[in-house]
This record gives sequence, structure tokens and C-alpha cells, in this order.
Amino acid sequence: MSSDFYTTQILPYAAIIIKICRAYTDTQEDFEDYYQEVCLQIWRSKDNFKEQSAWSTWIYRLSLNVCLTFLKKKKNNKQNAPSDLLPDEVLVDSRAFDDESLNQLYAAIRQLSEIDRAVILLYLEEKSYQEIADIIGTNTNNIGVRITRIKERLKKILSN
Amino acid sequence: MEKSIETIWKEGFIKNDALVAPKLNDLYNQKSIDIVEKFKRMYKINRIAIIAFAILIIPLSYITRMIYMGVPMSLLFIAVTFVAQKFSKQLDTIDKNTSSYEYLSSFDNWVKDMIAVNSKLSTFMYPYVFIAVVVGFWFIEIEGNILGNMLTSGIISEFPNTFIVSGFPILLLIPFFLGIAILAFFGGKIGKWDINLVYGGILNKLRILLSDMEELRK
Repeated sequence: MSSDFYTTQILPYAAIIIKICRAYTDTQEDFEDYYQEVCLQIWRSKDNFKEQSAWSTWIYRLSLNVCLTFLKKKKNNKQNAPSDLLPDEVLVDSRAFDDESLNQLYAAIRQLSEIDRAVILLYLEEKSYQEIADIIGTNTNNIGVRITRIKERLKKILSN
Repeated sequence: MEKSIETIWKEGFIKNDALVAPKLNDLYNQKSIDIVEKFKRMYKINRIAIIAFAILIIPLSYITRMIYMGVPMSLLFIAVTFVAQKFSKQLDTIDKNTSSYEYLSSFDNWVKDMIAVNSKLSTFMYPYVFIAVVVGFWFIEIEGNILGNMLTSGIISEFPNTFIVSGFPILLLIPFFLGIAILAFFGGKIGKWDINLVYGGILNKLRILLSDMEELRK
């Protein structure tokens, strides 16, 4: 990947990638792996970008796809690993933002299902229902109801 | 008043240090090592499987009364393992202390050498296997009679005018030598197909990675 491409086409949208990768990882090491893989995939797939959507929307979609694929691989690896090597409980996030409320919100988001995480991230990024539906690959009718349900779930987790 | 999740999100990211992108470094290094290590593991498992088969085929062929097939097959598999072992030693000599690109290029050259030697061997190996199988079946005893002799007598009685060469009817010799010729001709291709079947996925990843890295170097 040329540094030019990274500086002009990826870095301005790094915030998107960081926010998504954070939601799907528990450790800084995993986060950096996911981030690098997303950047690599953006570069590899750049010729497939048909300008039917905004570049940022395309980055959202690609980042989510990479994270979901990584997560699936990780789950498969865990299933194949001997049970005594598996952690007894969900890993605690080893990273922290300066803002404690944001840390709690991220922790709550990480408790959602993989798709719900994607939906709420896109909602918080102020994407329209249409864009969310396009990125997730569903229809707009379900999005509003789903967001309301996810927000209620998050509130419940946060209040606990 | 309790903050909404939208407010938490917006306010949390106001500080720039919350969104510091990690540096893109060492991206290919780990991937290169992973690919080569995975290949090494697969290559080792393959060698173990071949040598296990070379050992098992002897008692199996004895049980099935096809010892004339079992022994040459076993010898062949031992020879194949010996060649693979030599290649494996070469693989271990690839210098890891070079750049990821040089490391992967050396590995790619090793793969090409291995495939070339394997293809050459395959032009002999597949006809050899064919001969061993035919000989194995030929000498099977059925109720005290040898299958090959029964087949020869059957053909001679069915086609009394058939040519006999060194005691074998030409109607048997033609398909036998045709089989050998076809396998000798296509052996190299079958060998490549065989390698592709086992290592295709990982070798494809290697090509993609190398092509990425070559583009980077332009």
C-alpha cells in the first residue's frame, strides 16, 4: 500500500475504522490487527469501488465485513482449541478512553450481537436508515424498530 | 440528568487522542511467517501420512494377497518421502533475517523448485503405480489359479487368432502400454494437480501476498 493512498484515502476516514474495530475487539493487539487488515482490504479492493455510494459508506461496509470475518475466524479457532485453553470468562477490555462514559458505552456495545453492534455504530455515526440498511444488507422498515430495541438494551446494560 | 448514548458518543470522541490510528507497520512480516509456517506444518503432515501409508501397505497387500503391488508401492512411497525430506531440509535453510519480501520470494522459489521436481518425478511415478497395480492384480490367486493366467487363457480361447508376444496376448499388452504412455504423458500435469489439491489454498495466498508486496516496491 503506498503511503500516498493511506494518507489521502484511508487516514481521513481512520476514525470510522477505529470506532468499528474498537467495537469488535477486546485487546489493543487485536484492535491493531483488525485495523491493519481493514486498511489492507481497502487498498486491495479499491478498484472494486464503483462510486455507487460515498467512499465513507464503502469504508463502513468493508470495515464491518472484515471485523465480522475476523470474529468468525476467531470463534472457529476457539471452538477448535482444547477447552482448557479457553478463557473462563469474556475478556475484559484492556484499553481505555479518557472519557469513562465512553468506555462504559463501548463495553455495553460489545455485549450486543455482532449485527446489533454494526447497526448501533452506524446510528451513532448519524447514518440515515437507508444507508444503515444498505450497509447491513436489510430493508429500512426494520432499522427504526431495531435501533429502538438496541438503545433500550444499551440503557439497561449501562444502568446496571 | 443522565446523558443519552448519542451524547456520550459525541462528547467522548471530541478529544482527538481518542481516535489515534495505530501505525501500519510489520503488516506483512507476520503474514509471511504465518504462511511459511502453515505450509511447513502441512508439508510435515503430508510426509508423515506418506510414510505411514508406505508401512501400512505391506500388511494390507499381504492380507489382500496383492503383495506384488504392495512392495513396489511401499518402496515408491519411501522414495517420495526421502525426496520430500530433502526438500524440507532446504526449506529450513531459508533465511528469516531478511525482509518479508525476500523471505517470501525465497520461499516462492523453493515452492517452484519443489513443484518442478515433483512434476518430473510424476512422469515416472504414475506409470510405476499403474504397473504395480496391474502386476498386483495379475498375481492374485483365485481358487489356486493366478488371475493373469486365467485372463490370458480366456482371451486366447475367445480370440484364438490374437498375437502373442512373450506369452502375453496383444489384446492385453496394448491397453497396458497405452495406460503407461498416457500416464507418462500426463504424469507431470497430474502431479501439479495433486499439489494444487493439497496446497492450492495456501499457495494462492502466497501469490496474492507477493503480488501486493511487489506493487508496494514499485
